[in-house]
Amino acid sequence: MAEIIRIIEKKPIPFGSLMLNGLPDVGLVGLIATSHIIGELDLNEVAYMDSDLLPPIVVLHEGLPHAPLRIFGDSNMLATISETAIPATGIYAVVRHLVKWGKEKNVKLMISVGGLPVPNRQDIAEPKVYGVGTTPELIKMLKEKEIEIVKEGFMVGPQALILRYCMEQGVPGIALLAQSFFNYPDPEAAAAVVKEIAKITGIQVDVSKLLEKGEEIRLKARDIMKRTQMEMAKMRKTQEYDLPLYV
Amino acid sequence: MAESERRRRRSFFDIVSEYFEELEDWVSSLMEPFERPSWNERECSIEPLCNIFVGPTEVVVTADLPYAETNTIKVEPVSEDAIEITAKLRRPVSFHDFGITHRRGEFSAFKCQLRIPVPVDMEEMEIRFKRGILEVHLPRKRGYRIKV
Repeated sequence: MAEIIRIIEKKPIPFGSLMLNGLPDVGLVGLIATSHIIGELDLNEVAYMDSDLLPPIVVLHEGLPHAPLRIFGDSNMLATISETAIPATGIYAVVRHLVKWGKEKNVKLMISVGGLPVPNRQDIAEPKVYGVGTTPELIKMLKEKEIEIVKEGFMVGPQALILRYCMEQGVPGIALLAQSFFNYPDPEAAAAVVKEIAKITGIQVDVSKLLEKGEEIRLKARDIMKRTQMEMAKMRKTQEYDLPLYV
Repeated sequence: MAESERRRRRSFFDIVSEYFEELEDWVSSLMEPFERPSWNERECSIEPLCNIFVGPTEVVVTADLPYAETNTIKVEPVSEDAIEITAKLRRPVSFHDFGITHRRGEFSAFKCQLRIPVPVDMEEMEIRFKRGILEVHLPRKRGYRIKV
């Protein structure tokens, strides 16, 4: 059966903008950070994904049904979030399509936002943010912004695929990954990554509300975290703890 | 490559590990129809997110307890191989607080029971609570020792 994935555009999409991706992953860092940015910048829904690979659900907001995987934006920025865990079986096709769509829109920089699980997260007061870039120039740019690079290791899941397809399709891409809990929602890590996004994009977003609402977010995010954890297990996400061998 | 040839080239441990992974997938697919909500309206309690890590010397259970009143957190053994975690919330939360108007219910506590997969010494249990995360350390019981 052919894969059915469509991105339905509800409004004109700006060309040459930045594109943030906050798909559910460890600590829901990307999802929480990107949702916060969407809220603070008052971005509007400009497109959504329709696919047989996603669960058959709609999300109700203010009584109106919405697709769970949506793209928000204004003239400078596009931001993707998914309010449901993306099934491991569909992750390749979903991310491939998302990056392809970004390329069609001539996205100037794809920023994948996520977490980097650390076992001693409870003992870290201010999570550190690491960066990954798809080109030497982007790595240089990250270093100039004083973001430490992940030099060696594995990445697994949506962030990994975004980078892979960005490389494949020639879309400039970076990942910003904050130290986070593996399977507990982590608004503090999300706040840390929002601050680093500002360094790169110049778009300042206040994180005080995000930190104030931290406990509320953790309580609200339990169900999507649980489902994301189930999908991460299928993707063998714990492989991120492994050491790569390249002799 | 034929399946038998492929299997022969892998180590015994790879094959065992794959069987376990397949078994895990099968068990989780069986459990799917029994999925339940993470809240209990009758008991006015919420099930926290939990994790169990089995290490060589201890089992570490963690639970995410946002809004928990620190001095009400309790971890009690309910059997030889299970513990119950309870904690009162600093303030009750309702569905309404999350913008959900088609359900009724107010929750004032966290509650969950967890089965510990290996024998542990419940009396030596150690607990710490930091950044809203409860951490329960349970030393593993040593059943027997093989002389080398």
